[in-house]
Amino acid sequence: MKRVVEVLKEKFGNRIQGSHQETVRELQIKIAKEVVIPAARFLVETLEMRFLFLFGSDARNISGCFHLHYVFSYHHVDQFIILIVEVRGEDLTFPSLAPYLPQANWQEREIQDLFGLIAKGHPDPRRLVLHEDWPEGLYPFRKDFIQNKKVPRVNGEYVFDRVEGDGVFEIPVGPVHAGIIEPGHFRFSSAGESILKLEIRHFYTHKGTEKLGEGKDSSHLLCLAERISGDNSVAHATAAAQALETLCGFQIPPRAQFLRVVLLELERIYNHLADVGGVVLDVAFGFGAAQLARVKEQLMRLNERLTGSRLLRGMIVFGGVRNDISDLDKKYLIQEIGKIKVDFDQTIQILWNVSSLMDRIQKTGIIKKEIVEALGGTGPIARASGVDRDFRRDHPYAAYQELLFMVPVFREGDVESRIKVKMQEVYESFKLIYEAVTGMPEGISIVETVPLKPLRSALGYVESPRGECFHWIATDRDGRIARWKIQSPSFANWPLIEYAVLENIVPDFPVINKSMNLSYSGNDR
Amino acid sequence: MNPIPSVLQVLLVVTVAPSVSWWIKKIKASSQNRVGPTLLQVYSDLGKLFRKGMVISNQASWIFHVMPYILFSAVLVAASMVPIFFKGSLLGFSGDAILFVYLLVLGRFFMALAALDTGTTFGGMGSSREMTLSSLAEPALLLSFFALAYHAGTLSIEGMVSHFGSQSPLQILFFGSLAFGAMLIITLAESGRIPIDNPATHLELTMIHEAMILEYSGRYLALIEWGHQIKQFLFLSLLVNIFFPWGLAEPGAGAALFLGSLFFLIKIFSLAFVIGWIEVHTAKLRLFRVPDLLAIAFVLAVVSLLGQLMIGQ
Repeated sequence: MKRVVEVLKEKFGNRIQGSHQETVRELQIKIAKEVVIPAARFLVETLEMRFLFLFGSDARNISGCFHLHYVFSYHHVDQFIILIVEVRGEDLTFPSLAPYLPQANWQEREIQDLFGLIAKGHPDPRRLVLHEDWPEGLYPFRKDFIQNKKVPRVNGEYVFDRVEGDGVFEIPVGPVHAGIIEPGHFRFSSAGESILKLEIRHFYTHKGTEKLGEGKDSSHLLCLAERISGDNSVAHATAAAQALETLCGFQIPPRAQFLRVVLLELERIYNHLADVGGVVLDVAFGFGAAQLARVKEQLMRLNERLTGSRLLRGMIVFGGVRNDISDLDKKYLIQEIGKIKVDFDQTIQILWNVSSLMDRIQKTGIIKKEIVEALGGTGPIARASGVDRDFRRDHPYAAYQELLFMVPVFREGDVESRIKVKMQEVYESFKLIYEAVTGMPEGISIVETVPLKPLRSALGYVESPRGECFHWIATDRDGRIARWKIQSPSFANWPLIEYAVLENIVPDFPVINKSMNLSYSGNDR
Repeated sequence: MNPIPSVLQVLLVVTVAPSVSWWIKKIKASSQNRVGPTLLQVYSDLGKLFRKGMVISNQASWIFHVMPYILFSAVLVAASMVPIFFKGSLLGFSGDAILFVYLLVLGRFFMALAALDTGTTFGGMGSSREMTLSSLAEPALLLSFFALAYHAGTLSIEGMVSHFGSQSPLQILFFGSLAFGAMLIITLAESGRIPIDNPATHLELTMIHEAMILEYSGRYLALIEWGHQIKQFLFLSLLVNIFFPWGLAEPGAGAALFLGSLFFLIKIFSLAFVIGWIEVHTAKLRLFRVPDLLAIAFVLAVVSLLGQLMIGQ
């Protein structure tokens, strides 16, 4: 990695202001604001690194300026590079990366809304996180904004992109939907039933979770992390716990690593089962949906029996895993997983022979590989479009290094491919659980933790059921949490839906949406 | 002619119609390892809606208010033209098959208008879909009636039922099977069932019939739902009485009427079982595939008619 710094120094001279290895896998490079775009492009285009996400932080009380962090991954050597840019003084602008890397679009707008820094040259600088009823000049993620401050509502109007022409009309859907789902607005422009454009508008459930985490202790933080996205509790908690552990340079016991794999995979299975069932229900094949719901319920009960929580909550803690699995539980787990697998097998075989069902999901909602790459799509959605990425394999964490599994990849990018990826992953997860349970080393599952080190930062990451989930945590002078950034897979994947629905018809939207199954809460935070 | 049995027929339709919906729900539930609702549930649901207050948009015009009554009375008049347990009907006259079709269209026309009336998103979407599909279903229905009428030599439903009642099963199979196929598909479409529409969905974007009545509540909704159940019942009655006319009582026969209605109930619940079976075994069609299915119904009806023209009676 030294080489990367040298190359950058050669290219950008003294505008590379310093670099240091923050954690084992994290190289931080300080860089001048004016060259951050060419440097980012150089890392992506020449060194073939992957741009993951960018975020801001208010470090005015420590170094007198705002920071921007651009996170890249270099998976050949399992390393992360973070470019850090200072935004100082009166000039609160920063150059926009979105024209070159469209995946920075939402992230830069989020920084604009929450920190009041302005992305210069952004192609679409409209509000994103804070809607028009939020007053100008109030930036909630700045340190001087008091969290429980009552904010007056103001009038304002959001302007949607318009498609004009003969017979083109708009269909507004949401934010309040039928059924028990979260709020989000979808604006279709369509001619007849064909969708010409979809614009999504989210962040109705923005709760300022990242800000809430500031100043909290580690157990409280994990509690919050579990509630970011209800059905990805384990993934978020693990990512946050890993960030804390890396920050302290602290190793959890090997048994805990394996236990985390078991929990993460249990979560993946029930999520994927629910997704497949959801797609089947949305095309009105009630029989299949009911059978899959039944299989999922068996899994939830297994979760409850093992951990006391159907959503596997409260198990992941800073320092390991709260409750160990006894030998009796292990036996029960393997036996139940075996039964569930047989059940799942039979159901899938029935489903795959229903031609009317297959007709609905084939060639529906195609997402092209180029779109996924440009917008930074992750998880099963990316893998269904031929993008072969999986953090479990590319940047192994917990005990994944020691376990064997395959990463299913399909190329078509339609609803069927996404379902196939999820189904294959369920089988891999069964295998992983079996391997992890049988190959688990003896020992303790949790150790005493140490207080957080002051003025340090670290990245934690997990391949959640929906894709890559990152938690970045920085501490202040007293070792309390100064900034908590959550990059959820839903935030990365939501923009893809605008492309998935093109060339499709309005009544096929629900099934496309379901096949992606993105979280509103995880997106809005 | 004694009008009492004819009036009884209409009463039977009105009271038994909801139970056919219950029966289909029950079949679906059993395929999903569920118990399903009790028979009383469908009636108490209607009762509940009748008692409940209504929420009506202040943008609604008179069309919104009269639609449920027009729909329900149109369906009720149509019901009085269909023989149920004996070979006769209250308002039967020669040519009533055409009126039957257009009474149902009248209800649908007002429903589509009322859906547009409040100017909501999904209402218009439902109207446009319903009109597109009915423009395909309606000619297919008329043509299958014509095919049957050609064979029966009359355009009255009563006449067709009596005619087919006097035929041997083989003859009905020979002349009627194509028209039966056409009418079965149309029945699925008209009663808003899978694979054309999903009566149980909450996804507004995929709805057809349900999208049009999203704005309705309380008494109006009860009338619409009930009317819809009666309509479904009428289509099923037509199918069983034209194509399986056995066990129908002769007009005026006292004790036979009871036996006739028993036979009728067995027949209609068996046919409803078939509808339920189809619902369990198929997913909903993609909206743009529905015209293909209705085109099949149309072709079946045309072939049925042409076949008879060529073979002669």
